[in-house]
Amino acid sequence: YENRVVIAFLYVLILQHNRFVSDSKGKEPDVLFVGDSLVQLLHEFEVWRKLFSPLHALNFGVGGDATQHVLWRLVNGELDHISPKVVVLWVGTNNHGHTPEQICGGIMAIINVIHQKLPHAHTLVLGLLPRGKSPNPLRERNASVNALVQAEVASLSHVSFLDMDPGFILSDGSIAHQDMYDYLHLTPQAYQKVCQPLHERIKSLLDKHAP
Amino acid sequence: MCALSMNSIFLLTVELLNFHSLQSDLVNHCCSFPLRQHVRSLVVLCLCCRLRMSAEENPAAEPAPVIDVQGDGRWMSQHNRFVQECKDAEPDVLFVGDSMVQLMQQYEVWRELFSPLHALNFGVGGDTTCNVLWRLQNGELDNIRPRVVVLWVGTNNHEHTADQVAGGILAIVQLLLSRLPKCKIIVLGLLPRGEFPNPLREKNAAVNNLLRTSLPQLGPVQLIDVGGGFVHSDGTISSRDMFDFLHLTASAYRTISTSLHELLLQLLEETPQERRASLV
Repeated sequence: YENRVVIAFLYVLILQHNRFVSDSKGKEPDVLFVGDSLVQLLHEFEVWRKLFSPLHALNFGVGGDATQHVLWRLVNGELDHISPKVVVLWVGTNNHGHTPEQICGGIMAIINVIHQKLPHAHTLVLGLLPRGKSPNPLRERNASVNALVQAEVASLSHVSFLDMDPGFILSDGSIAHQDMYDYLHLTPQAYQKVCQPLHERIKSLLDKHAP
Repeated sequence: MCALSMNSIFLLTVELLNFHSLQSDLVNHCCSFPLRQHVRSLVVLCLCCRLRMSAEENPAAEPAPVIDVQGDGRWMSQHNRFVQECKDAEPDVLFVGDSMVQLMQQYEVWRELFSPLHALNFGVGGDTTCNVLWRLQNGELDNIRPRVVVLWVGTNNHEHTADQVAGGILAIVQLLLSRLPKCKIIVLGLLPRGEFPNPLREKNAAVNNLLRTSLPQLGPVQLIDVGGGFVHSDGTISSRDMFDFLHLTASAYRTISTSLHELLLQLLEETPQERRASLV
């Protein structure tokens, strides 16, 4: 019985991937968002329609994905047949059991694959957000990942880093459920807060990209 | 051995009922009322046994918190917040369950249709029947007297069979009825999932079938199946309805919310409000 459940799970994951691969055929996105549930859920709220659809964006977020899952997807078809000018990468918070160095390494591996497959694209890496209601090791881990990634991409002209935290941590160290309803995923109002600067940055990258 | 004999009794009883329904005129003429009552009691007994409602036999009916393995204690934080909300709020409607419940609150439809009914949302992503049971037993029903509870859980019970999941849901309903005697309960049926036909769809449908007749036997409880229409004629589910073939999009929530909202209005009208003072 358990085997059937495992098989059903894998089946669903593969199907989502297949949908993204077939999505890439016939569409000509200027912007590709790729990552985990923070990317995926963004597509379901009004902010996507208002800010990112007009930029001809595709959303390849999958809930639960860690760096190795995103890497697999990009190597296995999700970058084929498209030539976005900007790839927005937001992944790493689900890499449980990995050190900040390993997570940074995973993100760099993804950046390299994107550069190989899309030599003319610019990759915008988004910083990991703090999580959990109160201070905890994962906040420190995510902050370390951000510092490492920021340092590594500083010397790369085809990559830039954007800190996505508008100040979610309050003075008492807590995160409000009005911003993260489960202390991990963003509410629509929190997405509005983080997406304004993101939208500006993408637009300026697209402008630079234009001949 | 016990399960086998219980199943046999169940099947025999179903056969008997089928025989009766086919020969209804004859039955009405020949069978006395007590016989039908007897058969009905036997069915309930068998359903209860088959669904293994006691916690010792059914792992899906054993209350259990989520252990924090990731390191940020989010599950307990959410539970504690709900317990605190019980101290501050006086909800008329309580929604409780997994991410299907939790995510609803993030869409516009919640603000439009359910907030005005003074509804609280105690959904937690990933929760199984065990987790919901634990939460309700450990503070999330304290100090509140909702007139209607909407329960939506079971799709995450990956280690349990359909029988066990149905039994877990029944256990939660029994708890709700014992803690909130004047409350009416709506159990939402488990939705189909996955882009193509797969075992989890069959399992969820089996859970719904088991609950359909057994729930009303417990009291003012009904099963509402909102899953019709998601599976197209070719067997697929669209990502426009379920963005990851499990969780609903805004438009899909809107579709299922209309009938749920109407039913809530109806039930709220029927159920008198209990003032907090009268509970002392």
